[in-house]
Amino acid sequence: MPTKPIGQEFLKGVWSENPIFRQLLGMCPTLAVTNAVVNGFAMGMATTFVLLFSSLVVSSIKNLIPKQVRIASYIVVIATFVTMADRFLQAFFPAISDNLGPYVPLIVVNCLILGRQEAFSSRNTVGRSLVDALGMSSGFVLGLLVLSSIREILGSGTFLGTQVMGDWFKPWTIMVLPPGAFITLGILLGLVILIEQKSKSRR
Amino acid sequence: MKLSQRMILVLTTVGLLSGCFLAGVGLLTEKPIQMNKQKEIREAIFEVVPQSNSTQKLLQEEELSVYAGMDKNNKIRGLAVKSEGVGFQDKITLMYGTDPSLTRIFSLTILEQSETPGLGAKITSEKEFLRFWQNKDCTQKLSLQKPPVSSPEKLSSSEVNTITGATISSRSVLNIVNQSLKEVKQLREKGKLLSGEPNAN
Repeated sequence: MPTKPIGQEFLKGVWSENPIFRQLLGMCPTLAVTNAVVNGFAMGMATTFVLLFSSLVVSSIKNLIPKQVRIASYIVVIATFVTMADRFLQAFFPAISDNLGPYVPLIVVNCLILGRQEAFSSRNTVGRSLVDALGMSSGFVLGLLVLSSIREILGSGTFLGTQVMGDWFKPWTIMVLPPGAFITLGILLGLVILIEQKSKSRR
Repeated sequence: MKLSQRMILVLTTVGLLSGCFLAGVGLLTEKPIQMNKQKEIREAIFEVVPQSNSTQKLLQEEELSVYAGMDKNNKIRGLAVKSEGVGFQDKITLMYGTDPSLTRIFSLTILEQSETPGLGAKITSEKEFLRFWQNKDCTQKLSLQKPPVSSPEKLSSSEVNTITGATISSRSVLNIVNQSLKEVKQLREKGKLLSGEPNAN
């Protein structure tokens, strides 16, 4: 496998292989919890935690696991960290845990995480896997933040719970509902492709 | 080692390690989680029963719990009834405070709901919904005022307001309250709510 410079390994997760905008992975939390910035951020952090530690464990034990049972083993590892994150949120951030509801346990089936284990951590060194996981989760957090900022500002007229729009502004309720998530994501995907095409044609 | 043996060994080890690890996490977080839940209920009780700052559970049924709210002299200021029922999208859990003799509702608060944001979710809004629930006469069944009125003074003491565009959510809340009131009154007649009497200490 060709090895890239370590910086590129990180940056690919943020832009060229961004999990949300380029790979379209992890759409369930992306669409479901981005109705407010604080929820999007908490989901991003929980996913980052799970992805980092799963990559760490999977890349360290990759040679011990027979390939026939690798997916089962990875899922157990992922589920362990997800349960940890869930209990931690319930214990210390009950309000956020209430908001995210079932979407924290559902990180187990976020294909971004299993995808990175299968495509990267199981074939690369511990160091590289960690850099990759950091890059991918930064890309994921970034995507969630962009999406949730747009939805919270237009849908509730607030940012992080503080009123940012004037009294004249009538909140677009649809933006905090599921259709608003699809509309926002669609427009953002189009924008990302547009930027990509522009920068290609300039080269 | 044969492959099948290795597979069994690896999966068992991974499962065992994960289980031990999670048992530890569970033990560490169990107490804070319990305390959060209790704190949430206590705060709701103190909110719906004025002047209360301690509480005691009087009754726990399947979908119904009754707490007594007591002031600092241990005098019962009122009862807090926690109940749940079906909303428009999902279960609604709410709590309201009544005087000790179950004739008047002090106020209402919503503990859990997942109604439509912007419409049904307004049942949690003080301005749009909850203030129309203050000081209601609950010796008889409460009824729904529709079309909605703009201020609580325009309602009779046994009427509660509707939210425009969310009649089902408003009605669900009303039904949960009416149903649980009926049950609590029945339970009291059967003598299962002993310390809920006004002069009990």
